[in-house]
Amino acid sequence: MSADAKSSAGGLAAATLAVYALVCVAIYGALIWAPTEKTMGFLQRIFYFHVSSEMVGLFAFSLAFIGNIVFLTRRKLQWDWLAVASVEVGLIFSTMGTVAGSIWAKPAWGVWWVWDERLTSAFVMCVLYTSYLLLRRLVDNPERRAVISAVFGAFAFLDVPLVYFSIWWWRTQHPGPMILTGKLAPAMMPMFQLSILALTALMVLMIQQRYKLEKLRHNFEELRNESEYIQQRGAS
Amino acid sequence: MMNHFGSVVAAYMIIWGFLMFYQFTVARRVSTLHDQIEALKESLERGQRK
Amino acid sequence: MTPAGSNVGLTRATFSVFSKELRAEFRSFELLTSTIVFVLIVVFVFSFAFSPTHEDTRRFGAGFIWIALLFAGSLMLQPSFSRERPNDTLGAMVLAPIDPFAIIAGKMLANFFFLVLVEAVLLPAFSVLYDVSLLPVIGPLAGVMFLGTFGIAVVGTVFAAISAQARMRELLLPLLLLPALVPVLIASAGATAGLLADPPDLPRTWIFVLIGFDVVFLTAAWLFGGYLLEE
Repeated sequence: MSADAKSSAGGLAAATLAVYALVCVAIYGALIWAPTEKTMGFLQRIFYFHVSSEMVGLFAFSLAFIGNIVFLTRRKLQWDWLAVASVEVGLIFSTMGTVAGSIWAKPAWGVWWVWDERLTSAFVMCVLYTSYLLLRRLVDNPERRAVISAVFGAFAFLDVPLVYFSIWWWRTQHPGPMILTGKLAPAMMPMFQLSILALTALMVLMIQQRYKLEKLRHNFEELRNESEYIQQRGAS
Repeated sequence: MMNHFGSVVAAYMIIWGFLMFYQFTVARRVSTLHDQIEALKESLERGQRK
Repeated sequence: MTPAGSNVGLTRATFSVFSKELRAEFRSFELLTSTIVFVLIVVFVFSFAFSPTHEDTRRFGAGFIWIALLFAGSLMLQPSFSRERPNDTLGAMVLAPIDPFAIIAGKMLANFFFLVLVEAVLLPAFSVLYDVSLLPVIGPLAGVMFLGTFGIAVVGTVFAAISAQARMRELLLPLLLLPALVPVLIASAGATAGLLADPPDLPRTWIFVLIGFDVVFLTAAWLFGGYLLEE
């Protein structure tokens, strides 16, 4: 391994450790440091992960949209790799956030799920991006796959604002907006901000890893095609 | 409402467990691809030397 | 978005593609007859599965109508691009000196027209089989059907172009389309349910949602649809 590659790997390892340390501090803060909420008690601590995770999921989908649009205009596959990495990571954070919300909802509301506008939109968003990943598996040519999934990704992203703004537009069973309206207790805000920071750092790390995987797949395919071409030329 | 302590801990364990599992699978696939790429490069070089 | 050397206006080119689609379908009526029969089957099946009373029909009938239409649409829209594949007629159209969006817009209009023809059979059948009179609210109902059907045609045509280039396209189109059309389903069914209620009422929120959906996705189709026609 060259000196540059070694220092790059070392830097990445240090960044990874730093992110994991931040995540551990955020979990400790949410479960131990944060004040206990008056009405919901200890159950409310799920909120730090649930809301942060949903927000980070939306960040990731927004990043994927940027990747889709830039790919369509520039046609550099790196932007497609960024898009698919962001979609996959965004889907994980959104799904995990929804699972956390469900676990909170059962004791709080008595049901695991309600079909209100907020939850329905979040569910639709997850299904749409799952379809995005499925679509990519059904198109073999890498360039066509990138173009088609970029167009579909752009359409899917049009649902993302609907998810976010539905909490503002309609009366809903889901707790109303708290963060930007200042309804969150001031003592809880630092832990919430820490959760967002930790999950955003984790999102960046996960996208970076997934992007690397996509890049390696592309390199492997190119090498394999070159190998097959040389073999065929040798045979003929 | 301390009787929901179990729900909160279970939620965090399930979610973080899955996140760690995902990162582990991605890292493993990256490592496998690295090995496959190195093997392909070697076989290409051997073929070119012939 | 207009390629260099294009000498046929967007409207004229769109109308040419639209009339080509109609001529192709009216030669055999295969797609329309199959879709109409399918949508009637769905209406029958709902009655067997739910055995709705008159009151149930007033509450759930709107959902029956729009689910039947969505299922029919997701099957009917699939051939709009896949039947161009055998003789590569899509490639020939793309080579014409026209804006690529004209091809998509022409097909959208044709699909919208075919869906309206299906509704012209679906609504009377529903009214008779479920004993619900639609004539007192036919004006506003036509407006809701227009907006909802337009949304289905716009998104469905683009997704048909997407799925035509993938494997398992018959299964893929409903998979892509149905989640994307959830806002149309909710708004259209909500508006239709309001019209079927006693007394009839048309909540404006759903109309604004439908108009917004149609405008946003038509714009998206104009911006991105051309990329789907590249070779």
